[in-house]
Amino acid sequence: MRRDKTVILCVDDEENPLILRKLVLEKAGYCVLTATSAVQALAVVASRRIDLVLSDYLMPGASGAELARQIKELWPRLPIILHSGVNEIPADAGCADLFLSKVEGPATLCERIDAVLSGARTRKRGTSGAL
Amino acid sequence: MSNPINILMVDDQPAKLLSYEVILGELGENLLKASSGKEALELLLKNEIAVVLMDVSMPDLDGFQLADMIREHPRFQKTAIIFISAVHLTDVDRVKGYQRGAVDYISVPVIPELLRAKVSVFAELHRKTQQLERLNRDLELRVAQRTQELQASESQFRTLANSIPQLAWIADPDGSVFWYNQRWYDYTGSNREEMRGQGWQKLVHPDHLARVRAGIERSWKSDNSWEDTFPLRGQDGEYRWFLSRAIPIHEATGRIVRWFGTNTDVTEQKLAQQKVYESEQRFRTMADQAPVMIWLAGPDKRRVYFNKPWLDFTGRTLEQDLGDGWMEEVHPDDLQGYLEIYNAAFDCRRPFSAEYRLRRADGEYRWMLSKAVPLLDSNQAFSGFICSCMDMTERKLTEEALVKSEKLAAMGRLAGIIAHEINNPLEAISNAFYLLRRHPSLDEEAQYCANLAEQELARLAHITKQTLSFYRESQQPVPVRLREVLDNVLELQSRRIKASGIILEKDYDNNATVHGFPVELKQVFLNLIGNAIQATAEGGRLRVRVSERTNGSTRRPGVKVSISDTGSGIDPKYAKRIFEPFFTTKDTKGTGLGLWISRGIIQKYEGSIEFRSMRLAGGHATCFSVFIPGVSSPRNMELSRTLAAG
Repeated sequence: MRRDKTVILCVDDEENPLILRKLVLEKAGYCVLTATSAVQALAVVASRRIDLVLSDYLMPGASGAELARQIKELWPRLPIILHSGVNEIPADAGCADLFLSKVEGPATLCERIDAVLSGARTRKRGTSGAL
Repeated sequence: MSNPINILMVDDQPAKLLSYEVILGELGENLLKASSGKEALELLLKNEIAVVLMDVSMPDLDGFQLADMIREHPRFQKTAIIFISAVHLTDVDRVKGYQRGAVDYISVPVIPELLRAKVSVFAELHRKTQQLERLNRDLELRVAQRTQELQASESQFRTLANSIPQLAWIADPDGSVFWYNQRWYDYTGSNREEMRGQGWQKLVHPDHLARVRAGIERSWKSDNSWEDTFPLRGQDGEYRWFLSRAIPIHEATGRIVRWFGTNTDVTEQKLAQQKVYESEQRFRTMADQAPVMIWLAGPDKRRVYFNKPWLDFTGRTLEQDLGDGWMEEVHPDDLQGYLEIYNAAFDCRRPFSAEYRLRRADGEYRWMLSKAVPLLDSNQAFSGFICSCMDMTERKLTEEALVKSEKLAAMGRLAGIIAHEINNPLEAISNAFYLLRRHPSLDEEAQYCANLAEQELARLAHITKQTLSFYRESQQPVPVRLREVLDNVLELQSRRIKASGIILEKDYDNNATVHGFPVELKQVFLNLIGNAIQATAEGGRLRVRVSERTNGSTRRPGVKVSISDTGSGIDPKYAKRIFEPFFTTKDTKGTGLGLWISRGIIQKYEGSIEFRSMRLAGGHATCFSVFIPGVSSPRNMELSRTLAAG
């Protein structure tokens, strides 16, 4: 898989975790953009190509779940992973493609991102094939 | 001599009268003298004369003529007449004399002793006759008086007997009734003719007649008074209850002369009694059917009644628990406190409620909630307490469990917050070390330290995930193959299994599948297998078995998973408690929640979890088996989701 062409938008209201996560994903080979709120994230998504959104769940203002809902409304094919310190899957997390605990660690994070991306590509191919 | 009587001497010759006077003087009676028949008659009319001594031959009126005249008068018919005669002593004369009522003749010359003896006899006869007559008169007077008295008393008695509120009657010694009071006739509408003798028996209710007759006849024979209560028919045809009594009336000699009987209308009392009895019966039936235990105590605090549920509970007889007997059944630690409440309530007559432990028939003490209220009798006087008691052990346990589960829920919320607050920086630090460890500038020692830090962080992450979460990845129940879940768990535990040198045996029915949430099920088996590994020593055996089964009691098909180990076993004294929350045998190492949570999860699946622990020759064997029905109803899955989310 070619991670260097993959653009991930990382969303979190907390600066330190956001920076570290960005570094980890870059180390893993992804191209990473950041946003510190849902509103900012939507602006980024609207302005350029994004392959996947990785958003914190609990954020001031619109939550990650709200962001996921809006993204799926405007860009239904854009995969989004919700990422949180809470241990239970919140009831409104259903819009996202995946809900992932933050404590799974960087290796798992990358694995799951790849898995979601490959699932999305398969769907895309299936769709284009049909067209 | 008492009472001298009059003796009349009649003779026309004064010398003779004089000689008679001399002869009879010795008698000490009154001697009256008449010298002619005429004079004699005058004296006779004026005095009461006992004996007349007369000369037969007198000038104008001779003896016979005088006797005729005397006899004509009824007053003198019994007056003794003795004739004295010197002549005419023929038999014809004598007969003539007797015919005229003479009682004797004396011939001249008069022998003084003879005359005296004869007169004396008649004088005495007269005196006796007089006495008899007097006696007779007295008697007649007394009889008359007595009769009058009797008549008065009889009439008084009847007035009395007619005025009492009872029916009354009088019978002969043989029991034949000859008199009834007016009330009897008024009530029964019968008449004298119908009632004569044993007529009353027609009025006794037929169901009672045989007994009544036997009883009363026994009394007639034994002279003992009689008593019975039975219905008597009134003139309207309705029966009313009467308390009936008869007492014998004796005369001075002790012989029974009459029986006097009364019948008292006790219908009202009888009905009241009946009502009391019926209400008592109703109370007892109700009390025995009630789902609570009931006792009654008198004002002296002593128990006088226990209903059936109470006696069934204590397994004792009514006699054993009556009075103060019930105290033996109260838990010794609770008795004093209970008695303080009990006695105080009796003293101030206020309702009370108390909680105490009471011994059940099987010997187990159960918690009772009792509520008692004071009782008042019909005069509003305090007559004791009535109390209902309920076995509240289950409720108490439920309440305790509820408190615990509320604690748990609060703890869960807290855990969620803590998890979030820890997990966020934890992720950042983990990422930082991830980057650090791979940084090219790190020398060997720094690399080593970063490595250790990363390992510890992984441990920390594991702990927050395991202990602070009920993490679930899916919202809908899905088909779960149990072998996959178990393999997953065993894989997770493989390092510990290897480290403990435990021999693992697996016996899977490959297709055994249930509907549910894999993570929940994983948690259950992680708990059970984790416990088994912890309990098993070096070289022990762990056996995991999965098979499709039909539940013995519910007949539902499903899957049975059994996890057996040869570990330290479970002490029988903990057997009842191991599924309780916060119960642990691992001291501070265990949370005491593992089995409780596991059972909660299995119950949501309508399944069951149970265990057996046995002592064997070589040690112990413990087997936990979990049964999960193959198809759970959607409703329960819904519930399960709600529970899990909360």
